[in-house]
Amino acid sequence: MLREFELDMPGNLQETLARLPGGTLLAGGTNLLVDLRARREDAERLIWLGNIDGFRDIKIEDGRVIIGGGTTIGDLLRNPAMAEAAPSLVAAARVFGGQMVRNQATVAGNVCSGSPAADTVPPLLSLDAEVHLTCSTGSRTVPLNDFYTGFKTNQRKHDELVTGLSWAAPGPHTANLFYKLARRKGDAITVVGVAVTVTRDGDRCTEARIALGAVGPTVFRAKDAEAMLTGEPLADDLIDSAARKAMEESSPIDDLRASADYRRHCIHVLTRRLLKQAWEDAA
Amino acid sequence: MTDQEIPYRQAEANVVLRQVGKPLERTDAEGKATGRTRYAGDYTMPGMLHAKVLRSDIASGRLKHLDASKARALPGVVCVLTAQDLPDRLAATDMPGQTGQKRASTDRQILVREIIRHHGEPLALIAAETPAIADKAYDLIEYEIEPMPGVYDTEAALDPGAPIVTEPDNIVGEHKIRKGDTEKGFAEADHIIENTFHTQFIEHAFLEPEVGLAWVDENGVVNIRMSTQVIEHFRFIADALGVPHNKVRILGAMVGGGFGGKEDITVELYLALLAQATRRPVRLAYTREDSFVGHGKRHPFSVSHKTGVTKDGKITALEVKISADSGAYVFLSPYVLLYCAVAAPGPYRIDNVKIDSAAIATNNMYTSAFRGFGAAQACVAYEAQMDEIAKTLGIDRFELRRRNFMRTGDKTATGQTVESAIWADECMTQALEALGEKTAASGPIKIGRGVATYQQSYGRITWFHDTSEAWVGIEVDGTVIVRSGVTDIGAGQASALGQIAAELLGVGLDDVVIYNSDSAVTPLAGTTTATRALYMTGRAVHTASSNLRERLVAFAAQELDARPDEVDLANGQAFVPDDPSKSMSLKDLAARGASEGLERSELAMFRAPFTDPIDQETGQGPVFPDFTYGCHAVEVAVDTETGEVTVLKSVGAHDIGQAINPQAVEGQIEGGALMGQGYALSEELIYQEGKLVSPSFSEYLIPTSMDMPEIKCIILESRSGLGPFGAKGIGEPSLTPVAPAIANAVADAIGTRVFDLPITPEKIVRALRE
Ligand SMILES: Cc1cc2nc3c(=O)[nH]c(=O)nc-3n(C[C@H](O)[C@H](O)[C@H](O)COP(=O)(O)OP(=O)(O)OC[C@H]3O[C@@H](n4cnc5c(N)ncnc54)[C@H](O)[C@@H]3O)c2cc1C
Repeated sequence: MLREFELDMPGNLQETLARLPGGTLLAGGTNLLVDLRARREDAERLIWLGNIDGFRDIKIEDGRVIIGGGTTIGDLLRNPAMAEAAPSLVAAARVFGGQMVRNQATVAGNVCSGSPAADTVPPLLSLDAEVHLTCSTGSRTVPLNDFYTGFKTNQRKHDELVTGLSWAAPGPHTANLFYKLARRKGDAITVVGVAVTVTRDGDRCTEARIALGAVGPTVFRAKDAEAMLTGEPLADDLIDSAARKAMEESSPIDDLRASADYRRHCIHVLTRRLLKQAWEDAA
Repeated sequence: MTDQEIPYRQAEANVVLRQVGKPLERTDAEGKATGRTRYAGDYTMPGMLHAKVLRSDIASGRLKHLDASKARALPGVVCVLTAQDLPDRLAATDMPGQTGQKRASTDRQILVREIIRHHGEPLALIAAETPAIADKAYDLIEYEIEPMPGVYDTEAALDPGAPIVTEPDNIVGEHKIRKGDTEKGFAEADHIIENTFHTQFIEHAFLEPEVGLAWVDENGVVNIRMSTQVIEHFRFIADALGVPHNKVRILGAMVGGGFGGKEDITVELYLALLAQATRRPVRLAYTREDSFVGHGKRHPFSVSHKTGVTKDGKITALEVKISADSGAYVFLSPYVLLYCAVAAPGPYRIDNVKIDSAAIATNNMYTSAFRGFGAAQACVAYEAQMDEIAKTLGIDRFELRRRNFMRTGDKTATGQTVESAIWADECMTQALEALGEKTAASGPIKIGRGVATYQQSYGRITWFHDTSEAWVGIEVDGTVIVRSGVTDIGAGQASALGQIAAELLGVGLDDVVIYNSDSAVTPLAGTTTATRALYMTGRAVHTASSNLRERLVAFAAQELDARPDEVDLANGQAFVPDDPSKSMSLKDLAARGASEGLERSELAMFRAPFTDPIDQETGQGPVFPDFTYGCHAVEVAVDTETGEVTVLKSVGAHDIGQAINPQAVEGQIEGGALMGQGYALSEELIYQEGKLVSPSFSEYLIPTSMDMPEIKCIILESRSGLGPFGAKGIGEPSLTPVAPAIANAVADAIGTRVFDLPITPEKIVRALRE
């Protein structure tokens, strides 16, 4: 059974920040309440984020996309501009949980819970997103790429609220793709998640980002593989070598869902496929 | 499609059906759609206590001590029961049989006294004023368990020196079948094909975890309102409490799914003990985690086939070796094993058969009834084997089946002549046709197709001497009441009875009210298991309604000045079809009848065929009342690089004799398609040293709507079954062929086979690498 806890329901951002020290933020609750019930988490005071004005807003200004800290997975899918502003993120949202979870779960909650299998993180990393943090004394911005410090740990301080995330919408000749490999098609925990961004100038790749989920202690970018692609024409054998490099950069484990060996195999396959597809799409 | 001179038993031809065979809105539909239906968990009583079960979290050990004093001292805790507080009685784990059959040594301890045999075995029962207090008390019970060496696989359990879970040798059941001469049969074969197939532990995963409410009434009767498939466990509960059978009453409620998982005793025993001890109403609702560790699972089987076959595809001999993991207690394992052995040859004519089977005790979770009951595991093996034979011979898989199918009039491997139609071939033809044009493969994505056909019993083992009772009455206003103990576990069991009564009494389904599932008040109908409810209780309602109809017709004939054979009942009227001037409403008829002392109700019992047990050495003799035949066909896409499988098309075609409500039949076929798909591809309970490490729906993967294709249902009606109007059964059969059909389709797509369910992407990738 769910253990007893206090529920704090501040009315606005200022109040929320004031109450934050010593409390635990409650967004959609789809991680937190599950963890409390399973006694993996022992928070005593939860702070509900549902009363902050405009916290779910999605804005696109000068080619920069900004989503509020309360934006849900469902909000991403309902916003028609997102298909172009974050194709990989929308792809992840489509295969995220089930409808009820998508209604409730937030992107910030997904990022903050920091599971290596968190599905919005590979897309956000492939978009080079930034995390906006605020506490009662000020605000700061951290590149998502630097956000995680280890398995389920990150740079957020206990009194900080994630007020939003932002990234540059992909420009022309850029393709941004995501694939979730899981044991079933709905409501499944990711076995391997791959997101790629490829920007192409004629027959050369000017920038490549490859983000891998569920194959290391955190979601991470396969930078060595990326480096192999930058400035090159993406011929099939180069793509294959880069995909193999991405595989080598990973450190998956065996668990109930799959073996490390199978995960490595799939990183290779999926990275190769996505890079090839992205290279063609970016033409 | 089939021969016109009907060599099989068939229900009366050319009857006009007005209610039966129509997709009527079920009597339970509206309540479920609007949320008004009351399930067992929706009942409460003033002064009710909340119960919780403390369980062992290791599989094999010795309970060194258990101290509940701190829990008992917690304010709000009313009762904590441990083995020390109970008389030295055991709990039955057998089927309730109308003839009181019960085998020795199938019983289990109610609470652990000393030895712990499986993960989740109950240590103590708690009853408290609130669920939260019960939770706190749970944490306050102190105990120490000394781990003991356990045995976790069936092979190890047979080793000399293996820990003994069930005396004397861990073998809890064995069955043999001997027919013809297999040595001679293999000598006649051009090829001998040998394969071993493995199936896994799976979970029933009903929507509604086990729940109930018990209270002792003013007559000293222990009443239990329960989610169960079997209200007739009241007798075993009475035995465990040490009270006469008439002092325990089980009332059902609409059940949120059973699939065999609510066939054995679940919470009712704990509820009864706590209500008896506290004399207060007690509610016990399992959480999902409780449910995962609290009830028996489907048996993992290992089934080895050795098949002799001529080069033109005629099977000359079959040898099958079967072993099943029965877990830590016997429960229904010997029967499940028998079902598997009898089903093992499939719907094929084979002259020389030798089958050996054993159910073996381990310290894994006990295994028991699960939709398909051993016959489903048998089908996983025999239908995969058929495809492997076809591959070896280079014969078309469907043609191979046709060359060997049993045909109407044939005998089973135990020598039982099947008296109903055997339409396995017709079902396969229709299912294959419905798959339509083949989807195109592209790159690493390969397309495969597979079918599985089957022979599956409906109705219980015939030496159980199964019976079922129902009562039908007509009120003075012409409305109809049906009473029967049958439990409705979501398949429309009750509604179907209404449809049968409505048909025979000339009213609409709206004019019928059904009272069911009360062991003290409704006539006992037996269990809702073994695909028997519609067959058995449907027949009881048919008989009761027919007898009542006969009396009403005779009385109407007098009133209308006609002969009884001229009178029909329909649309709420008694009338002479050839003479429009002669008619009266059922309402007037019933009222007139009442004033004349006409008996307006009827209690009927239906008896299944009764036989003696089969021969122990040869397994020869009748085992089941009858069989359903059918086929499931699928088309899949397999990503040969990642191993991901997508089921593209799924078709079930079954000869169910006569659909009472075709919509309900489709519900069974669709549900079977989903459950079978999970069995084939993703569902698996993982035990490590007997401990369930995946007690959650995030690890135990049932297909979601995103995983399911549209399911096509094809209903064939031979009207040759033993059920009402020639119905057969579809509850279990609809599931049975699905997993092997998918396994065959995957094998077809990738050109090699995964022999162990579930066929995970990882196993596919591994098979392709080898
Ligand atoms: C059935 C089910 C299916 C799921 N499927 C998926 C899936 O397919 N893919 C996937 O990645 N995940 C899945 N999840 C996990 C979960 O839904 C996601 O991680 C979700 O995004 C968490 O968001 P939330 O709003 O519910 O977070 P919460 O549970 O409310 O919070 C999670 C954590 O983040 C912190 N937090 C929340 N918001 C903020 C903020 N603004 N600033 C700082 N800290 C914050 C909380 O304090 C808490 O520690 C699933 C969960 C369930 C129950």
